[in-house]
Amino acid sequence: MAKRGRAALTICSTAFITLGRAQASALGYAKLPIAVIQHPFGIRTRDEVRAMADKCATEVVRLLSEGTAK
Amino acid sequence: MNDKAVQTAERAALVECADDFDAINKLYRERRWSDGLPIVPPTVERVERMLRHARRPREGLVARIAPAFGAATVERIAINAVLAGCDPEYMPALIAAVEAVADPEFNLQGIQATTNPVAVWVIVNGPLAQELEVNATFNCIGEGTWANATLGRALRLILRNIGGALPGEMDRATQGQPGKYTFCCAENEVESPWEPLHVERGMSRDQSTVTVVGAEGTMNMNTHAKDAVDLLRVIAETMVHPASNEYCHGGEPWLMIAPEHADILKRAGLSKADVKARLWELTKMPASHMAAKDLLRVKSSRTEELGEIGPDTMLTIAHKPDDICIMVAGGPGTHSVYVPCFGNSRAITRVIAAAG
Repeated sequence: MAKRGRAALTICSTAFITLGRAQASALGYAKLPIAVIQHPFGIRTRDEVRAMADKCATEVVRLLSEGTAK
Repeated sequence: MNDKAVQTAERAALVECADDFDAINKLYRERRWSDGLPIVPPTVERVERMLRHARRPREGLVARIAPAFGAATVERIAINAVLAGCDPEYMPALIAAVEAVADPEFNLQGIQATTNPVAVWVIVNGPLAQELEVNATFNCIGEGTWANATLGRALRLILRNIGGALPGEMDRATQGQPGKYTFCCAENEVESPWEPLHVERGMSRDQSTVTVVGAEGTMNMNTHAKDAVDLLRVIAETMVHPASNEYCHGGEPWLMIAPEHADILKRAGLSKADVKARLWELTKMPASHMAAKDLLRVKSSRTEELGEIGPDTMLTIAHKPDDICIMVAGGPGTHSVYVPCFGNSRAITRVIAAAG
């Protein structure tokens, strides 16, 4: 999508950030914005997950806005 | 990918190094080009010898290997075959295995990058299995046979060196498993009372094939059961386990049945399809056996297939009986092996290109 000129990002947890970065580079788009969530989240309460999701949503908006502004 | 539509990719780079075994292995260790064991130095001469058995042009692109989507050209496959210690005659089988893992149904992206310990199990069938001396009997998934050890190792090296699946980087396996060094055997077609695996999967008996399986590990089943009903019951009870990707997603569990156990089943008049059907029924597990969080995953993954899922729902290990896969291997003894699988993956069989 990014290569087609559309705003794009991926979301991953801290445990997978290395994979995300390496794979983005391997696919020729090293600058792909990645919104990161603290790992692990499977063991968290629903309220904690909701708070993490809210924080991540803000980060997604910020990353996408930065991408469109360029 | 077939030869009519050969795609090409860049040639492998030539790296110069002192002509010294220790120096070359130091280089490979520093650059993480090995699996942790010493490698056979891939000199130009050795790679050329390997390529003479490839039956395909060196620049030919066999597949792109996830997660880095590196180009597995014939030449790069040959280099990794040398590293692993393969005989040149193994090349066509190794190329077929690379084609197989790249099939989208196999889900190599998931298999390579997951936290799951999944390894790639390579099963060789047909006349070439004997010709290459791929072990199907005593200790066939243990150590001691050159073809089993080096073919499986070569595929692993391709997955990491071309696919970029380095532990802690793009390979996120929490612990991994010993099968990630090598996991390869042949089917014991001679002692199997049923049609060989590749025939069951649509190939002819005189063709040779490789089948790749996303295998989580091996669970030995030592039972002296002499009665087919009893035997199937204990096999099924071994297969039932709640912390399982197979129950979570509807998987493809594999069984490596010992010839003695296969004989008991055959003498009871059971075909492979009969065995699968009975095991599919016997392995149904109440959803309440799963952890509450895992049950949420099951609901997300299988509601469309099974309808509303509650604690009393009987979960099947696979979508349908035929998804339970059976091959016969091993020597004398009362040990069969349950091979739980990754779940989101399907085994792929590819024909090995014939000589000439």
